[in-house]
Amino acid sequence: MKRSILYPIMIALILCLAPLLIAAAKVGEAAPDFTATASNGQTVKLSANLGKYVVLEWHNNGCPYVGKQYNSGNMQRLQKQWTARGVVWLTILSSAPGKQGYVTASEENDYVAKMHAAPTAALLDPTGEIGHLYDAKTSPQMVVINPQGIVIYDGAIDDKPTTDLNDVPGATNYVNLALEQAMAGKKVETPATRPYGCSVKYAN
Amino acid sequence: MRRRNSKPAAIALGLASLLCAANAGATEAPIPHGTIEIIAQNESIEPGRDFNLGLHFQLEKGWHIYWANPGDSGEPPRVEWNIPTGVTAEEIEWPTPHRLGTSAIVDYGYEDAVTLIVPMRTETILAAQQTAQIGAQVKVLVCREMCIPGKAEVSLTLPIKSQTAAPDSKTAALFAAARKSLPQHAPKNWKFSVDDTISSFVLTGNLGHQTTRAIFFPLNESQIDNAAPQDFAPTAAGFRLTLRKSEQLLKPIARLKGVLRLSDDRAYWIEVPVSKPGAGQSNSGANVRPKHLLEEGKTT
Repeated sequence: MKRSILYPIMIALILCLAPLLIAAAKVGEAAPDFTATASNGQTVKLSANLGKYVVLEWHNNGCPYVGKQYNSGNMQRLQKQWTARGVVWLTILSSAPGKQGYVTASEENDYVAKMHAAPTAALLDPTGEIGHLYDAKTSPQMVVINPQGIVIYDGAIDDKPTTDLNDVPGATNYVNLALEQAMAGKKVETPATRPYGCSVKYAN
Repeated sequence: MRRRNSKPAAIALGLASLLCAANAGATEAPIPHGTIEIIAQNESIEPGRDFNLGLHFQLEKGWHIYWANPGDSGEPPRVEWNIPTGVTAEEIEWPTPHRLGTSAIVDYGYEDAVTLIVPMRTETILAAQQTAQIGAQVKVLVCREMCIPGKAEVSLTLPIKSQTAAPDSKTAALFAAARKSLPQHAPKNWKFSVDDTISSFVLTGNLGHQTTRAIFFPLNESQIDNAAPQDFAPTAAGFRLTLRKSEQLLKPIARLKGVLRLSDDRAYWIEVPVSKPGAGQSNSGANVRPKHLLEEGKTT
C-alpha cells in the first residue's frame, strides 16, 4: 500500500527536477524558453518565435567591447541586415540594478533611438534569470537559435577579442557565419567560441 | 591595419629622445586606475648579450589586469615594441595568475601590482651605437566591477657598453619579486596524467608527497569551465583534480597545458597528454617553456 503512494510522488519529484537539470543552454540542444518584458512594454516569449531564426545579444551600454560594436555601427548593421531577412533579434540586458549597464525601460528606449539600433526587442533582465538560463558570461555574448528551437551558435560576436574599433572591419563575424551557413542548409562550422567581452554584471 | 605617417613619428621620437636623454631614465605613464612603467634589470646593454626588461603595472585597490588566458572575460595586455635594429623582444614571462570574479564568471589575472618580465635578445651590431631608445606601446584592459581599456606609451634610454652590464640596484627588488612570482618547471620525477571523461578532465599528479591544495590555470581558452569548482582530492603521493570541460570545447584535445598551484603557493608549468576516453594509461608531464605553449595556444 505504502509503495503505491510513494511511487507517484517520486515520479512527480523527478519530473519537477528534470527541467532544472537540463536548464542551461547548450549548442545542439533545445534553447531554454523564457518570457520577458521588453523595453517597449511588450511581453516576449521565446517559444512564440518557433519557425524563425532568433539571435540573442547580451548588452551592457557601458562595456567597451559593446561600445566597439555600437560606435562602429556594426551591431546596428547586423540587426538591420538580419531582421530584414526575418530573423528575430533580441537584445538582452542582464545587468543588476546599481551595476554597470543597468537601465530602465525608458533609458533603453532612448539608447536604442540614439544609437539607431534595430533589434526586434530589447529585453529587461535585471534579475539575471535569462542570463543564467543561457549561462551568459559576457557582453556582447551572442546566441543563435534555429527555427526548430535548437541553439546553433553560442559565443563571441567575432574573432577579434579587443575594444579597438579598427578591428571591426577585418573581423570574421561568427553570427553572420552561423546564420548564413544554417540558412544555406549547411552545418555551422564554428558553433561555439569563447564569448569575449565584459563580464555580465549579475547581482551576485 | 593602420597606416602611419612616419614624419611626425620621427619628429616625436627625436623630441622624446632629447627629453629622455635629459633624465636618462624610465618614464611612468598613466593607465586607467593605475600607472605603467618600463624598467630594466641592468644599467646598460652589452651587445650580443640578452637582457631583461619589465613592464611594471601599479593599480588602484581592487582593479586588475589579465593573464595570457584571461578566463571568462577580459583580455591580456598587448605590447608593440619600438626598439633599435639588433634588439628583439621575446614573449612576456607571465607570473602565476589568481582566480578573480564571482561564482558564475571566473577570470585569471593580477590585482594591485604586477611586473611582466620581457626577455630581450641583442646582436653585436648594436656596438655601433651609444644608447638604445626602447619604447613600448601597451594596450591594457583594466577592470574592477567595470572595464576600461587603456593605451600607454612608455620608454627607456639605456647606454650601450662593451663591458658586462651591472644590475640596476633601483629595479633589483622588483625583478626579484617578479622572478619569484613566475611558475617553475615541474620537477622531472613528478608524474601527471589526464583522463578524458565525458564531462571532465581528471588531472592526476604524483608528486611523491602530499598536498592539501591544487589549482589549475589553463593556458588555452575554452578547454575547461573556468567558473566550475575544481574538485580536489588528496592522494597518498599527490592529488586528483576534476576539471569540468568547457561548453565551448567541441573536439577532443591532445594536451592540457597550464599552471598548477599547490598548497605551498608554488606554481609549476605543466603540459600533460590527454588519455583517450577509456584508455587510462599514465603519462609523465613534460617540462615546457611558456612561450612554446603560447605559440601552440593560439586558437581561432
